Amino acid sequence: MRKIFALARKEFSGCFHSWLGVLMAVLFFLVSGIFFVILVLNYVKMSMHPEQYGLSHFTGINQTHFIFGSFFTNLSILLLFLVPILTMRSFAEEKRQETLELLFTYPVSDFEIVAGKQLGIMIFFGALLAPLLGYLAVFRGIGGEFDWGPALLGFGGFWLIGTAYLAAGVFISSLTRSPIVSALGTFSVLLVFWIFDWVKDIAGGPWGRVFSELSPLAHYRNFTIGILDVQDAVYFGFFFFYFVFLTLRSIETRNWKS
Amino acid sequence: MSDHHSEVLIDFQNVSKRYGAFRALRDVSFQVREGEIVGFLGPNGAGKTTAMRILSGFFPPTSGHVSIRGVDMSKHPHKAKQAIGYLPETVSLYPDMRVIEYLRFVAKVKGVPPHERWGHIRAKMSFCGLLEVSHRLIGKLSKGYRQRVGLAQALMGDPSVLILDEPTTGLDPTQIKEIRELIRALGQNRAVILSTHILPEASMLCNRVLMINQGEILASGTVQELASCLKNREVIHIRIKHREDRQHAVEALGSIQGVRGLRSGEEANGETFFAFESLPDEDLRPKITKLFVEQGISLAEIRREPMNLEEVFLGLLEEGKLGRRFS
Repeated sequence: MRKIFALARKEFSGCFHSWLGVLMAVLFFLVSGIFFVILVLNYVKMSMHPEQYGLSHFTGINQTHFIFGSFFTNLSILLLFLVPILTMRSFAEEKRQETLELLFTYPVSDFEIVAGKQLGIMIFFGALLAPLLGYLAVFRGIGGEFDWGPALLGFGGFWLIGTAYLAAGVFISSLTRSPIVSALGTFSVLLVFWIFDWVKDIAGGPWGRVFSELSPLAHYRNFTIGILDVQDAVYFGFFFFYFVFLTLRSIETRNWKS
Repeated sequence: MSDHHSEVLIDFQNVSKRYGAFRALRDVSFQVREGEIVGFLGPNGAGKTTAMRILSGFFPPTSGHVSIRGVDMSKHPHKAKQAIGYLPETVSLYPDMRVIEYLRFVAKVKGVPPHERWGHIRAKMSFCGLLEVSHRLIGKLSKGYRQRVGLAQALMGDPSVLILDEPTTGLDPTQIKEIRELIRALGQNRAVILSTHILPEASMLCNRVLMINQGEILASGTVQELASCLKNREVIHIRIKHREDRQHAVEALGSIQGVRGLRSGEEANGETFFAFESLPDEDLRPKITKLFVEQGISLAEIRREPMNLEEVFLGLLEEGKLGRRFS
């Protein structure tokens, strides 16, 4: 366990070694801040002139739902860009610099290596989320009213979908020795998962049902509107462990490849 | 030099490795005891790196067994790897980590207990002469210093087996001298395997040399044994002026008894040279001169020299192809 933490710590601090990790953090805060401000301003505008929006009285619109629901939906788009960049270095960079060879000769198991890398990136991603809780405080400060439960559930759901995506990104990174190829590959795969959500609407019927079960967004949506369904949490857990398993198999291939 | 009472630290038994149809190692066996420095000698692609990667636990052999201090690598990789320090051929370290930060990471991963860690790291840094660069980024260090960081990470956790793949390539002469001194000091109470294609280096550092080519061990012996093997072998060098005479010369030399391992090539000035092995008790020079003059071959030079290690190696390669094995 100590070895996993040592690997995780190296991975985590590696995110700060390059300007890339810092730049991604800054961009993430900037864009999520803009999303949040726009949503709050929209809400304010609506509440002042409800008749322009075809609403006779305003009390029916829930602040939690309107602001946080849309906020988390928008954030999930950001993941399509954030995840490929956070994960592209994990294995591909080590393969490119040939540092992975040395790591394999240390007394650590493949599982410890994969777990350490995964954990390091998850902690970095968690650290990106923590400051967003500040938005809740600011919102309270300017007189907003919301329910803590659904808002925190939104954060939890976002962390779940994020770590599931990160596992996919780490797997793709383990397939190549080029960080750029890893980033593009991860982006494409996440895009395909994203499209499942449209396909389910277009297909309809039993096929629509299949795609809706497979679509990460469909499962994520429940979290954004404050519904906690065990099925959704299980889905992301399965997604995560499936890709961790594939990563393990992928780094084992060194045993029979040249 | 090798004390047969000391413990066998490396045991390589009938190891083969295939990459698809290519056989990188064929049934290689050897043992290394404590206090020995063993050199792997061989041309590029001979299988040196493959053998070292198997030894370091990077990948398993296709067949055969590897044990380190009596621990089977395939059954208990964790325990076996604990006893190994490995310096890969291209010393690839994380360029954006600081030396101290990197060594701390290696110490943790190799399981150095927390209360000893700091003293351990400091000892290795001072042994490898890294104290003055401990806070520099590895990527900004010179090649010589990076090699020392590589050596320091290999020494982390005090392994009893050191595997050094081409430890001196790419260094300048002063750095080479320093690294060699470090290796010699390390060989005292460990088993060290180092690969090299520089023969003088092997004769300078190693108690024993394994010559390998095309995945097989051609010869193994102490440096003294190889040196005694040099004493009764000689090489005759011949140069001829005109390139048209080459074919004649080859035929003429082929007709002489006692010519072994004939090599030939062309020099920059258009002259052709031949070199072959002969036994010292019989001087073939008068015979050759006579034959060449009779056949009108434009002989420019003929001289006799004792064989150096390089030529012994080439000779062994030649005979290895003919199916003869030395051991």
